[in-house]
Amino acid sequence: MLERIFSSADPTNSLEWMIFMARKYSSMFLQGTWLTLYIAVLGTIFGFLLGYVVGIIQDLKINKEDHIVKKGMTRVLKAICVVYVEVFRGTPMIVQAMIVFYGLRQAGVEMAPSVAGILVTLLNTGAYMAETVRAGINSIDNGQREGALAMGMSPMKTMFYIILPQAFKNIIPEMANTFLTNLKMTSVLNVIAVQELFMAAKTAGGTYYKYFEAYLIIAVIYFVLCFVFNRVFLFLEKRMAGRNDYVLAVEYMENQ
Amino acid sequence: MGEKIISIENLSKSFGDHEVLRKIDISVEKGEVICIVGSSGSGKSTLLRCINKLERQTNGKILYHGKEVRDVQKEINEYRSKVGMVFQSFNLFNNMTVLENCMCGPRKILHLSKEESFDRAIRHLKKVGMAPYINATPAQLSGGQKQRVAIARALCMNPEVLLFDEPTSALDPEMVGEVLSVMKELAQTGLTMIIVTHEMAFARDVSTRTIFMDKGYVVEDAAPMELFTNPKNPRTREFLGRYLAG
Repeated sequence: MLERIFSSADPTNSLEWMIFMARKYSSMFLQGTWLTLYIAVLGTIFGFLLGYVVGIIQDLKINKEDHIVKKGMTRVLKAICVVYVEVFRGTPMIVQAMIVFYGLRQAGVEMAPSVAGILVTLLNTGAYMAETVRAGINSIDNGQREGALAMGMSPMKTMFYIILPQAFKNIIPEMANTFLTNLKMTSVLNVIAVQELFMAAKTAGGTYYKYFEAYLIIAVIYFVLCFVFNRVFLFLEKRMAGRNDYVLAVEYMENQ
Repeated sequence: MGEKIISIENLSKSFGDHEVLRKIDISVEKGEVICIVGSSGSGKSTLLRCINKLERQTNGKILYHGKEVRDVQKEINEYRSKVGMVFQSFNLFNNMTVLENCMCGPRKILHLSKEESFDRAIRHLKKVGMAPYINATPAQLSGGQKQRVAIARALCMNPEVLLFDEPTSALDPEMVGEVLSVMKELAQTGLTMIIVTHEMAFARDVSTRTIFMDKGYVVEDAAPMELFTNPKNPRTREFLGRYLAG
């Protein structure tokens, strides 16, 4: 029975069709999985970086005694960030993909679909991360900032040594969430001909008119990917939480 | 008379239409322990925050060794590294251990070597009796312990003046005692301190000068013995009523 399912050349039921197509198009599904991961990972990482930069810019304060040029530049930067965040949060990623890919093409920039895919993913992630980072920064008690400033630390150092490390810890769950979302959102990139998982299912399913089975295959793949990554993130989060106890430095005890 | 470290000249501060500080003139000399007392809302904390530049004054200026501290970030940073501050809510860095909290300033602001920063941190933590807790994080400490670490952290910057903004107001009576005794010891070492406090007995016994503030004015500025036994201003007398002899 098992042998028949796995070696079948003329599948009769859905399960057999799934196995048949998975075997027949194994390299395509593998490559799709790889490309999905590749785009999601790179897009997310660069998106996070962009999000941090934009989030920090949005948190910049304009002091009235600053030089006029510095004030002007800060205002312009902040305005650009606001527009960017609003636009990318206010439009669907699938539309962004079309506009970025075909827009760049019309402007004479030839870009491989996968590269355009990473670009769209990172721009999209950046906009959402910027808001997350801003919220993360705001969630840190103002006393932390004042404590550092009051001892003479510059506002920039205060941000990097005191505020961001704490904000980062608070937004880890949200960052994991964003990555899982991206993993799944790469599926819309098939509209700009990226050979990711969705495209693989479309191709395989189209050849045999077995769409249900083909998409079921990638559903399983997506699910497994997300499940595994989710476990990894949960594990990391636990590790980051650190210990609840501490070791007394007994060598200094006599001074008590 | 010692040398003047900080002079506050004609300092005013308003939040919108609300005038919190009005024409304050105070000078602080080396080795003085100044306690600022007064009812809540009299502007004591705002004055202290203005001295550290956490609040920008609306008018007037602050001189440090006779030189005005201008509103330029670099000048402010340098000035603040000499004028430390201890807060009511401790404000220890939650992402660092006790040791890291104390080494952070020397390392990142004064750019001292790791060894020197470590020695400094241990020295001052020993002084406040917190050296055994170097591996603990702020969340694992009691309020009194946190405040003692905060004092050690401020001392690690080798400040010329230390500002205390109601350092014991968030503590239970037992912890108040442990923090006040640390501050008393500091006062005896000759460190210049400005302390905003509601601990009248402490102000009376430890300060070399007590300032009474009301409605944004410095109402009375005198030696503690004088202020606590024979206040000149009726408002001072009213406020200090139950501490006055007889």
